Amino acid sequence: MAASLSAAASVRLLSSLSRSGSLCGSRGLHVSAARCKNQAARAKVGKGDRPLTYEQALPPHQIGHRKGWLSQHPSNLRGEDGAADRTVEDVFVRRFMFGTFHGCLANEVVIKRRGNVLVVCALMLQKMPPPKFYFLIGYSEALLSHLYKCPVKLEVQTLQDKTVYKYL
Amino acid sequence: MASHTRKAFLSLGRINAAGLGLQRPASRVTYATDLSINSSAGKKGFPDRGGRGFVRRPRRPVGEPRTEKMPVDQDWTAVYPTATPFRPNAVPLPVRMGYPVKGGVPPEKKGNLELIKIPNFLHLTPAAIKKHCEALKPFCTEWPSALDTDARCDEHFPIKVTSTDYMSAGTSVRNPSARVVHLNVKLSSLNLDDHASKKMLKLVGNRYCKDTDVLTVKADSCPLRQQNQDYAMYLLTVLYHESWKTETWESEKSVADMEEYSWEDSPSQRNILDTLVRMKAAGEGEGEGEEVREQLLGRIEVQEYKDSVTRLKNEGESESAMLQYKEAVKKVLNL
Repeated sequence: MAASLSAAASVRLLSSLSRSGSLCGSRGLHVSAARCKNQAARAKVGKGDRPLTYEQALPPHQIGHRKGWLSQHPSNLRGEDGAADRTVEDVFVRRFMFGTFHGCLANEVVIKRRGNVLVVCALMLQKMPPPKFYFLIGYSEALLSHLYKCPVKLEVQTLQDKTVYKYL
Repeated sequence: MASHTRKAFLSLGRINAAGLGLQRPASRVTYATDLSINSSAGKKGFPDRGGRGFVRRPRRPVGEPRTEKMPVDQDWTAVYPTATPFRPNAVPLPVRMGYPVKGGVPPEKKGNLELIKIPNFLHLTPAAIKKHCEALKPFCTEWPSALDTDARCDEHFPIKVTSTDYMSAGTSVRNPSARVVHLNVKLSSLNLDDHASKKMLKLVGNRYCKDTDVLTVKADSCPLRQQNQDYAMYLLTVLYHESWKTETWESEKSVADMEEYSWEDSPSQRNILDTLVRMKAAGEGEGEGEEVREQLLGRIEVQEYKDSVTRLKNEGESESAMLQYKEAVKKVLNL
């Protein structure tokens, strides 16, 4: 990763390469200093035609200020166990939902835990006929309940189109 | 494929919405394939207005939301009987949530993920709580009328056993900290005489709180809560019986083992009596004798001196204790 190369190290590398290049030819590797920039989950400003939802438009440093948490559970509190297990469960559930309802998810999946129960809240687009939706919802609930040995409930709301917050 | 033909059928025959199970052979219509391409374009397929030049039509007419059909005096506990995430079509309130765009307003409730993220208490309206209470009443019994004050409860139930239950969001109900048991009892409620109470205090050490006179025994060495409870009761029984017994080696108790300072036979008593006797001898030239010492002991100033020294030694140094000592010394030495 470019981030691991400091400015001094890259200069040294550049100088050594240029020296080696002068002996056997003039082909060298050109390296510029790394710009350690935060770019996680941030939408780049474009021409103004790209629609973004509220979730996509706000960068991650606004979590806790203008954004809520997509998944909250008491294992993240001080002195509680099981934080890693819950996180792995969350990651798997999000991938599962993305794959099962492919192309239908309007927004991120919200995961809530009430005691033993895992409640997965999803906003969907009306792309499939309702019977298909019902089948997939039942299938996901049954499969996830069996996988995690706890009751899993899916709360699905459907929309016509995605709610646009901003155009970037 | 079957799925595509079914999609085509639905988009063509919107009126026959009931006949979804029928498998009519239908020719492939152009926009079925378009839709399939669109859906594979990305995680969230947006209508491609620039490229294709048509707008995606909903497959069947979207019904009106439930909020339109709600009467004003409806039973809200039927709409939200249990804890459920926020449903914009079921909550007839014009809530808005989110940071507004510049020159705009917070986004509306339809499709608002922020409203779904937060916990809501729509299932806990006063009417709902009344219903809960009414449902729980048959299972409740009256509090015994004889136990109306805390003092009476302590008198009849002096031993209090405390344990904690833990709830977490995981798949397992087990928590190792749930086995800890605390047993609290006031020593004044136990039948202990002077020797027994002193021995009990030495046996328990810092498990006793002097201010509240409460002995706390914490049992957490067994894996189960019931075992820890039994062990704590057993410890209390053993402590009680052991403190009543007097061992042979207890007669070797020295001054250093004493819990309280007692003035009798202490260096302070000897010193003050010696001083007073010498003062008296210097003044009147009388001989030493036991009667003189006893007489001196009987004097009020000597008693006051005894009280002040005992207080200083037992309670520690404080303003009032030092003043009391100063006054007593001045009186005794006739300053």
